[in-house]
Amino acid sequence: MSEGTDFLYPFIEGDERDAGSLLVDLADSARAKSNVGAALRTATLDRERDALERVGREMARRFERGGTLFTFGNGGSSTDAASVAALFAHPPDGSPALRARCLVDDSAILTALANDVGFELVFARQLAAHSTADDIALGVSTSGDSRNLAVAFADAAARGLLTVGLAGYEGGAMAQSADVRHCLVVRSDSVHRVQETQAALAFELWRAVHRALADG
Amino acid sequence: MAPGLTEATAADLAAAALELARHYAAGATMWCLAPEWPEHGRHVAVEFVHPVVIGKRALPAVAVESNDPVAALRELTRPGDVLLVVGTRDAARVRSALQRAAVWGLTSIWIGAGPRPDPGAADHVLWVDDDRSGWTAPYDGRLVARYHLLWELAHVCFEHPGLLTTRDPACDDEVCVTCSDEGVLAEVVTEHAGGTTVRSARGTETIDTGLVGPVVPGDLVLVHAGTAISRVDDERS
Repeated sequence: MSEGTDFLYPFIEGDERDAGSLLVDLADSARAKSNVGAALRTATLDRERDALERVGREMARRFERGGTLFTFGNGGSSTDAASVAALFAHPPDGSPALRARCLVDDSAILTALANDVGFELVFARQLAAHSTADDIALGVSTSGDSRNLAVAFADAAARGLLTVGLAGYEGGAMAQSADVRHCLVVRSDSVHRVQETQAALAFELWRAVHRALADG
Repeated sequence: MAPGLTEATAADLAAAALELARHYAAGATMWCLAPEWPEHGRHVAVEFVHPVVIGKRALPAVAVESNDPVAALRELTRPGDVLLVVGTRDAARVRSALQRAAVWGLTSIWIGAGPRPDPGAADHVLWVDDDRSGWTAPYDGRLVARYHLLWELAHVCFEHPGLLTTRDPACDDEVCVTCSDEGVLAEVVTEHAGGTTVRSARGTETIDTGLVGPVVPGDLVLVHAGTAISRVDDERS
């Protein structure tokens, strides 16, 4: 395994060379995964282009009526939901701010609901407390099967909210649900690539909303 | 639409992932700070603590959300830990935390977009360079993709346990620029009759601050041979 002068420093040289080949493999892997992500993003945005315009218009009408966007999700998707709410409410480019709030931000409310009525109801109960028929419910899930999202969508639909879902894989239960008016699906079984592309979809949705608001 | 990673960015990711895995193997905790986008700090933490891929090990990562992250991190971190920040080049709280990270013996990873920070601003800089608008990457999935890849690559490293125990050969020498007494950045902890207690990457020690005049806890000084030889400006000021 050692050649040349490697025998003088068998431990260090051996390790350095091995780490070197690992680093090459890691970099190759990073580029391959990134290419998969870029292709998925392009394919998804192409496929959902018309849907994004349609949903953007419907959301714009809600905002014009004074509606609020409520976003929610679990785990990493909860942070993606928070990111969507932040983009709508505080756009860094100076676009008009729209009313938007993420329902995972307050751990007192989340834990109170989870403890007292169950985790399935943590978003539905908040929508019951805050929402009106002018509002929008946007749930993010990679599987599309999160039970607390399904319950929240059912509650939101019954109250007249516009319901929008972001899902991965084949869309899961969310894609089949009559309670989800618009379900945008990232067709991949990699949770990471799904989340990245869901963010791209949400970003394009935000742009579509502002186009629709500008068109009136 | 989005171009793939450049070779340089992929190499940056690989090096950061290997170093992160090595620190985790040695018992580190990763502290995640994202003052401008706290959701990204939380996403990184949940990614490592509760992996989406079944069978991957849970690793200690904590989102730090504080109005004074330097004060929070001062109490929480231990030498050998990792500070991962997600933030823009000019975010004051990010810069001051990164400056302190070096003092406290932390390895730093800086993920961001927009104008790139100066070389050496963190141990590892994982930047989205192609964010032409300068602000969309935190919202359109590209910033998320950086830390997803970091997680994915770090877990590949765990499949090579023999490579995770390697010490930095530079630190095995008797004199090492980082560890020697050539001048070490330190933070004042307390002043007392016997001198001034400071904290640096090599631990806590008592030094003489007569040369630099009165100091207060939190001040940064350069220490050489048991003496503070100059003051160092705080990134926040």
